[in-house]
Amino acid sequence: VSVAVAVLFALPAVYVLWRTVGLDADLGEVFSDSVAPLWRTIQLAALVSVSATVLGTAMAWLVIRTDLPGRRVWRILAPLPLVFPSFVGAAAFLAALAPDGLFRTALEAVGLSAPDRFRGLGASWLVLTLFTYPYVYLPVAARLVGIGSSLEDAARSLGDRPRVAFRRVVLPQLRGSMLAGTLLVALYTVSEFGAVQLLAYDTLTRVIEANRIFDQPRSFAAATILLVLAVVVVVLERLVRRRVPETGRVGDRPAAPLPLGRWRWPSLAGVLLVLVLALIGPLAALAQWAWRGLARADQAGAQLGEDLGELLTPAWNSAWISTLTAVVAVLVVLPVAHLTARYRSRVAGPVNAAVVGGFAVPGLVIALSIVVFTLNTPALDVFYLTIPALVLAYLVHFGSQAMRAAEVAVASVPDRQRESSRMLGAGSVRRLVTVELPLMRPGLLAGGGLVLLSTIKELPATLLLAPFGFRTLTTRIWQSYTDGYLADVGLASVVLVLVSGALTWVLVLRRSDALA
Amino acid sequence: MDNFSAVGTLRGMSDPRAPRPARRLLGLALLAIAPVVAACGGGGDDGDTVTVYSGRSEELIGPILDRFAEETGTSVRVRYGDSAELAVLLAEEGDRSEADLFISQSPGALGYLDGEGLLGTLPADVLDLAVEGAKASDGTWVGLSGRQRVLVYNTDAVDPAELPDSVLDLTDPAWSGRIGVAPSNGSFQDFVSAMRVELGDEATMSWLEGLAANDPVIYANNNAITQAVGRGEVEVGLVNHYYNLRLKDELGDAQRAENHVFPNGDVGSLLIVSGASLVEGADAADPATELVRFLLATEAQTYFTDETFEYPLAVGATPNAVLPALDFRSADIDYDVLGGDLASTLEMIREAGLEG
Repeated sequence: VSVAVAVLFALPAVYVLWRTVGLDADLGEVFSDSVAPLWRTIQLAALVSVSATVLGTAMAWLVIRTDLPGRRVWRILAPLPLVFPSFVGAAAFLAALAPDGLFRTALEAVGLSAPDRFRGLGASWLVLTLFTYPYVYLPVAARLVGIGSSLEDAARSLGDRPRVAFRRVVLPQLRGSMLAGTLLVALYTVSEFGAVQLLAYDTLTRVIEANRIFDQPRSFAAATILLVLAVVVVVLERLVRRRVPETGRVGDRPAAPLPLGRWRWPSLAGVLLVLVLALIGPLAALAQWAWRGLARADQAGAQLGEDLGELLTPAWNSAWISTLTAVVAVLVVLPVAHLTARYRSRVAGPVNAAVVGGFAVPGLVIALSIVVFTLNTPALDVFYLTIPALVLAYLVHFGSQAMRAAEVAVASVPDRQRESSRMLGAGSVRRLVTVELPLMRPGLLAGGGLVLLSTIKELPATLLLAPFGFRTLTTRIWQSYTDGYLADVGLASVVLVLVSGALTWVLVLRRSDALA
Repeated sequence: MDNFSAVGTLRGMSDPRAPRPARRLLGLALLAIAPVVAACGGGGDDGDTVTVYSGRSEELIGPILDRFAEETGTSVRVRYGDSAELAVLLAEEGDRSEADLFISQSPGALGYLDGEGLLGTLPADVLDLAVEGAKASDGTWVGLSGRQRVLVYNTDAVDPAELPDSVLDLTDPAWSGRIGVAPSNGSFQDFVSAMRVELGDEATMSWLEGLAANDPVIYANNNAITQAVGRGEVEVGLVNHYYNLRLKDELGDAQRAENHVFPNGDVGSLLIVSGASLVEGADAADPATELVRFLLATEAQTYFTDETFEYPLAVGATPNAVLPALDFRSADIDYDVLGGDLASTLEMIREAGLEG
């Protein structure tokens, strides 16, 4: 099974390599031209990985483990910055920094001046950190819920101060989840196009996009470099992970909220600041676009009703296709995760790398590889331009997000518990259903949630592979944005955030016991 | 400013041509059924369904396609996307493509497909519907509407009197650090290709180098430049004309910018044609040809110019009143001269140091 999965996930890589060779690119020239964009890509990925990991872990700890005021609300809002399609997030950030924008007005109100030009490495770093920290937040929060507090309580009763207890006891247990998130952030940043393009930071993906039609050898050669970079990232992560002890303890009693004491209000201010920058601010900028458009129309109420009516079908499509993809993704990667986390077999490494690498390939390349694959495989061409082919593309692109979360989930089932249930004579299916799945549930839900949020905002594969007439909120937002219909962009984006928020709440948080 | 109160109603609710939701929903319903029907037929489409790949967005053409379906009883199914990406998709699909008609926002994408031998031939009587200069001599494509290249400028930062008469003057050091450019964007690349046809490679190269030496601010696309000029981030920008009209409609006074057309048919203000092509080997070539004819008829041409402030390209069609009169000589660029050599345009842009 795992090998079959790996073959599927390796499709984009095979396609890229085949094209690079077939198109006879002048590799020497392309590589020397690509050194600068490659270096910029690496810089950005490294910076964003570190900052998103710190931010995501801090948010998770504050929101899950402490007595932070309003934490139930923050738990719903914290994963949501992930739902902005990157070009929308960046565009909204730019709009908020415009002369009459929210951020600029706020900065000037406290006597600071906003930058005249928000672009380059710094801008990309800030925006991507704010929109990717949920990749770390979700798995870490799931882990925090799972590990309970007895070890920490023990450490503290033995005299450790809270901060020391956190460093010595809690942090080591979180490392696997943090690393899983960091990997996703790094791969996302490497393959990111929409935001860095708007923020004028010239990375490898720009080389791929700008040359996709007139200079395809260059485009595919750049994609090859990106693949190599992804493999390096995956290998690095595995090297680091090997040195992280897997102290898997789950299922002890739920943690009592840790009193923050005098840090309560500063912590709240920090969480609020993050949410304002990553979610509320951009959302307000988008709502302002929508509002301007509505205020302009003669009868704003009727106009709103009409526009919302047109969004119903895309909203429904977005909701079910992303939910379906999330479920399929968890089911497909679970056996692979089981293999890699439990048994360090020889196939595990490459299989794992193939699954994870799919996330580093730009969506356009994934879509084209699925086109070529379905059209040229005899029995499969009937699936061309159908929902199964589209879900396959999503799966190849985002499976890694469920993969790492699932690995951590599998690893978190204590050997003792599996052994004892086996000795008591439970069959493997029964063991899975009654013992392992309940323990893995927070992790699997977190992984499925990540896939869901990524799928709902996916653009290039949806445009190229969806059946005729199948529109999602994201394809609508993109179309309106390219033509400058900002009011429609605003309205559809607000709906996208609401739908994503509702799905995350109903399907992920509410079912994950203490996550919400 | 009178013009823009008119603009408000053009895409407002009071326009009788504005799409009604019921019609849109009907269209959606029809489109939702189409793939099921097609799947039953084993993936091939019968003669009564036209399959369109459209680089022009649904907002800008969907209602007109619905009208065509209503009037002729031919069902139309559409894949919307970016022109260049759809062209790459068509090339990957090759002779397995179900597409009958390709509508492109960029001549470059058409030129690429022509080079791959993937374009069919439109009959002469359809080509005759478009004005001179807005069609391929060999019938591979015909223009539907046009977008003019302009210099958009911030009205707070720039005195209109100092605006240059030619795009060639932007290499003057006086403009150092003040120009927004989108070298990775299709329209800019098309414009550079046109410049190569008009002025030759040498003059084009030295202009590109002069522009690069003037330390331009690089942006992702026309839209990003026009928004940046509107909020005062950069003073002027090389863009297509309709973005500023669109954004003034969206943002009102917050969009502090106007368009400057380089006068006397300057190469900096040529018309970029958005065109339609039959796909080679199309199953439904006949109804697809009828669709092209429909897109060049009065109703569709009026829709294009009123919805998006583009220039209509059918003989006898009238541009929207907010648009300045067009010098049609500027549309008269024969891209075929480049013989599909558009990769060289990218290479020149790159060599001039204008990437980003």
